[in-house]
Amino acid sequence: MALWVDKYRPRELSKLDYHQEQAENLRNLCKQSDFPHLMFYGPSGAGKKTRIMCLLREMYGSGVERLRNETMTFTTPSNRKIEVMTVSSNYHLEVNPSDAGMYDRTVVIDLIKQVAQTHQIEINGQREFRVIVVSEADELTKDAQHALRRTMEKYVATCRIILSVNSTSRIIPAIRSRCLGIRVAAPSETEIINILQSTCKREGLVLPVELAKRVVDKSERNLRRALLMLEASKVAKSPFTANQEIAELDWQVYLRETANQIMSEQTPAKLEKIRERLYELLSQGVPPNLIFRGLVEQLVNNCDIVLKAKTLDYASQYEHRMQNGAKHIFHLEAFVAQFMNIYKKYLTESVMSVDF
Amino acid sequence: MDQYPDENEEFELQYQDELEMMDDFDNDDGPSTSHQAAAKAKAVTGSTPTVARLSNSTLNSPQLSQITFGSTQSQIENGADGGGGPVNRRLFGTPKVPGIGRGCSTPFQRMPAIEESELAAEKLQEVDLRPTNKRRLERDLFGDIDDLFHESYEDPLVKKARTEEQRDQQAIEKILELRRKMRETTKTVRHDEISRLKSLHDFKMRNLSYQIPNWPFLPIQRSDLERIYVRFHSEDYEQRQLDLIGARQNTTGSLLGDSKEQVWREANEMVLRRLAPPTQAPAVVVETIDFSSSSSTSGLWVDKYKPRKYIDLLSDEMTNRSLLYWLKMWDKVVFGKVFHSKQEQEQQMAGGAGSGSGSGSGAAAQLNSFNKRTGKFESNGGWRQRKARQALNTNVDDLGRPMQKVALLCGPPGLGKTTLAHTIARHAGYNVREINASDDRSPEAFKLALENGTQMSSVLNEDKRPNCIVLDEIDGAPRQSIEYLVKFVSDGIYSKVKAKGSKPEHNVLRRPIVCICNDVYDPALRPLRQIAFVVQFPPIDSARLAERLIQVAKKEKMKTDFGSLIALAEKSGNDVRSCISSMQFFNAQKHSLTLQDVLNNNLGQKDRHQGLFDVWGAIFRIQRPKKQLAASSNSQNADEPAEVILTNMSVPTRVQNVLTVVHSCGDFERLTQGVYENYLQQKMPDPNFNGVCEALQWFCFQDLLQNQINRQQNYSVYPYLQHGFVMWHLLFATLAWPKIAFPMRGFEFQQKTQNQRNIYQALRKGVSSTSSGVGQGNVLLLDTVPMLKRILSPQLRSVAVQLLSPKEQYDLRHTIEVMVDLGLTFMQVKSAEGHYVFQTEPDLDALANFPGSLGLTLPYFSRQLIAREVDLERIRRAAPKGNGKAVENTKKKPTQTTSPRLPNHLQTLKPKQISSNKPNATAKQQLTKDFFGRITHKSSAISATEERKTDAIVKSPIWYRYKEGFNNAVRKDVHLNELL
Repeated sequence: MALWVDKYRPRELSKLDYHQEQAENLRNLCKQSDFPHLMFYGPSGAGKKTRIMCLLREMYGSGVERLRNETMTFTTPSNRKIEVMTVSSNYHLEVNPSDAGMYDRTVVIDLIKQVAQTHQIEINGQREFRVIVVSEADELTKDAQHALRRTMEKYVATCRIILSVNSTSRIIPAIRSRCLGIRVAAPSETEIINILQSTCKREGLVLPVELAKRVVDKSERNLRRALLMLEASKVAKSPFTANQEIAELDWQVYLRETANQIMSEQTPAKLEKIRERLYELLSQGVPPNLIFRGLVEQLVNNCDIVLKAKTLDYASQYEHRMQNGAKHIFHLEAFVAQFMNIYKKYLTESVMSVDF
Repeated sequence: MDQYPDENEEFELQYQDELEMMDDFDNDDGPSTSHQAAAKAKAVTGSTPTVARLSNSTLNSPQLSQITFGSTQSQIENGADGGGGPVNRRLFGTPKVPGIGRGCSTPFQRMPAIEESELAAEKLQEVDLRPTNKRRLERDLFGDIDDLFHESYEDPLVKKARTEEQRDQQAIEKILELRRKMRETTKTVRHDEISRLKSLHDFKMRNLSYQIPNWPFLPIQRSDLERIYVRFHSEDYEQRQLDLIGARQNTTGSLLGDSKEQVWREANEMVLRRLAPPTQAPAVVVETIDFSSSSSTSGLWVDKYKPRKYIDLLSDEMTNRSLLYWLKMWDKVVFGKVFHSKQEQEQQMAGGAGSGSGSGSGAAAQLNSFNKRTGKFESNGGWRQRKARQALNTNVDDLGRPMQKVALLCGPPGLGKTTLAHTIARHAGYNVREINASDDRSPEAFKLALENGTQMSSVLNEDKRPNCIVLDEIDGAPRQSIEYLVKFVSDGIYSKVKAKGSKPEHNVLRRPIVCICNDVYDPALRPLRQIAFVVQFPPIDSARLAERLIQVAKKEKMKTDFGSLIALAEKSGNDVRSCISSMQFFNAQKHSLTLQDVLNNNLGQKDRHQGLFDVWGAIFRIQRPKKQLAASSNSQNADEPAEVILTNMSVPTRVQNVLTVVHSCGDFERLTQGVYENYLQQKMPDPNFNGVCEALQWFCFQDLLQNQINRQQNYSVYPYLQHGFVMWHLLFATLAWPKIAFPMRGFEFQQKTQNQRNIYQALRKGVSSTSSGVGQGNVLLLDTVPMLKRILSPQLRSVAVQLLSPKEQYDLRHTIEVMVDLGLTFMQVKSAEGHYVFQTEPDLDALANFPGSLGLTLPYFSRQLIAREVDLERIRRAAPKGNGKAVENTKKKPTQTTSPRLPNHLQTLKPKQISSNKPNATAKQQLTKDFFGRITHKSSAISATEERKTDAIVKSPIWYRYKEGFNNAVRKDVHLNELL
């Protein structure tokens, strides 16, 4: 509990820092004896998991905080062993099936079904159902989602499923309709600043407002990122000064640098160097859609208005194709080459027009 | 002594000849022509040589004179009768004949065709190793020409200077040269006057001398009172020479290399096969008759023209030699005993060669043997022993076997792998036992065959050759069999070690095993590949193959030309077997083979499996029109439509070509990756990136299709995969030869991704359940890890913990807590450079580590400090919770814990005690069970336990008492947290 993200994380619905109204609604939901499957959705670092844990605590009491880590092993039909980490208490089970990659269907079928089928033995626990928390549910493959769908209906008496999702568009409509969607929006800037201030106060530190603002800017309204950045800045230099340097995420820096290189030179040799960098990013686990996004943002920022629309058009085209493909590098490189193409054409044209 | 030299000696003899030849080759390349010129001049002018003229001609080449005198000087220093050497040499234009221990091969080499063929015949007779006693004795006849095999003296320093590679290279060149010459001699039918005269001259040169020669001689005085020494030859030698000449004069002349016995035997076999009574005609006659008659009717040509001698082999010389060398390395084990039992120590030192020398008779023989011994001794010291030593050093185990016990020949079919294995094994003196796909190769049968083949004890009898097992087509054998083979081969090593001192275990592998396969990367062969000596077969040169085909055609009296044979060779992908078969096919039809036939028939056109590089080459390269083919077609028949298309390189043809090539390969995914990683290196006229964009569109398309196939097994889109390659070909292909690298990047990327993923998984496992704020999945990797690196890099001075400032103390504390929470530690590991570093475990530094990013900036000292503190913190956390409570209860614990816990291990004993003093025990149990009254009953409880100790525990032979947080030996309660 040493990281500030953990240390100062609210544990009860009443202590949440923002979205108070929503918290009230959740509390009311718990007061009834039953509630439907839930789907928390919102951007990363908005507090979905925090709210889920608060909700569980509201329902079951502090018993849910007695957690244990377990690693479960599953055997796929193709006889491959996969390991999935679960965190569970007496009342709930938290699982991230996307750990299993393309075998997540097995996890859904085996694990969730098995838990859902067992009845709660302890009667004096307030509820007669257990809760399964599926984090990163939007990473589930279509197969797994379809497997989940039947489970949700069939075992509704013994279990509730809470999905934690970044984007609902990746969830099949069948599941969406079975869940009560709860949107957790990213906190506003002032909210984040308030949280940062209160955290520093509890740590016995003084946080200049300017620094807090800059941290919020850098963190893109991601509260987790903001807190981690603040903590990193604290380790680098404390007490805080208003204009101290804030650490940036390495991969973002690298991505920005890549985009700048694309702008600087448009040759096959350069394209090959860009490919190396893209490979590097991919191998470090940066998801390709984030790479796309980072590149497009940078490129669009730096190029002429004529090209902006075209760039975005191409980007959407290639990213869409990438979702259907398997080798992301092809699509990323295709986009880069396409951009180089139009950029180069634009450059030569502008040079020509200047000449005449 | 007087025995015929055995096989390996023969090999060495031959080897030695080659070596000397090649030595001479590089010494006097230029002079040799001048010798011949001189010889010719002499032959033209007349039979009596004029000294002045010849000396003039030889002196014209300064190189020669240098070499001659140099060697002469050394000969003089040696103290032998080398005085007359130079004169003689200049006289006859052969500088080295009368020198001490001059090898025969050198002068012979320079002689024109007739001598050449004679030499080849002799050599081939040696090469062919039919171990009949009769022939062995026959060797005695050669006593008087034994000097042929003596080595010339050469400066050992010069020899040493030469590297092994050069030797090999030279030897190869020499063999090739020899082979070429032999081919010429067998091919040429004409005998013009000049060559006859030349041969006559050479014959004289060898057998006449103006000086007193080394060999037995008869002095004769010429008309001009000059004394000439004429050489003596034994009758048998003369007879043999005559025979050879007789054989050579046959127009066929193909089997010169075979000894008469073999020819005779084959002839008999043929006759028997045709159920005709064997005729007792002389061998030479039978040979011709049989051959000419059989040429039109009998047998498959493939069998008929199979190479029977080492020198006949078509395959790459380096391959042949390496395999032969490997096989010869077995000699110590296989033939080793012969050396020890039958040969003298001295001769062993001399390489154990030339044991036939003693059989020579008279003074000449003695001289020879003397010459031989000195010459041989020295030259061996320069060459062969070094070779042996090198083999010992590098790759021979202590039994004298090569480290790689198995040779694995691999290559596409029809290159003569099986033939090579058989020929070389026979050449090296083995009896070949072949096990191929048609045999039962179940593990049991395999085992039986292997054991029988390798463990025959009577192998070294006179008439029996040791076995060499050839496992043909091993890639089709069941996996268990191959595993057994591997075990069999490596088990030998194991049991040998075990049986040291005692007699060697009987399953030590003492025979070479040769395996043959087509695809060396067959998964079943993987274990074998690791221990085997792998010989890759390069494809045969099509020109060389065509030469051989011409010979065959000539013998079969088939009408054809070189161009069409080359076309045939190319069409069949240089598959010897299919070429000869197609030739036979055409011969049966019309006794001729033209280019038209080759091109029009789809004969010999296999669905060839091309290598990946060939396919990539075809994609990135526009093939040039084949000029040779076009030219020959024009000369023969210009109205050939098929050829015009073949040479035409229009777009439709190119498309068709690429499609065919790609389709035949089939591994589209790998091919795509290869094109992807190479296309940017190609020279392309594409300033605007249009081509690249289009190519990448196709890559995307390819990926989508592939994904469809992989994910949904939708193979209906499969045919479209190959069209991307056509586009890439049209976009990027050039006439230049493309530089293509094997696509490694994709694989490396996968490896790295996997590696990262493993580290990430390890990190995730370590995160304790309370700190779920670090996020899951990508969030942990993208947001937390980069920041974590900075959070875990506090600035600490390198002083003791106590001296740190409060802020540093706080930072340290914080760092440690975070690390423990996330399950991170610093581990001391040895880096690649050899010094120790502290690395995070799991390796946080490697995660999300981009070039240019900082990572953990902790110095060594801080890491060390943190590592220790983290360990301590771990222990603290692992200590039982609620320390204060434990301290309170420690005094009571003994009473409380002993009694209820005793039954754990004393349950069997307990009933007896209860029976002995029951009331006491029940009272105690009641007391102890009462949780609240512990303090009050303490004293009585202790006494009770003491009592019990005397009763049961001490009495029992073994007892163990476990008390939590309490040690029996130390009477003071010390908790772990007090030690930290």
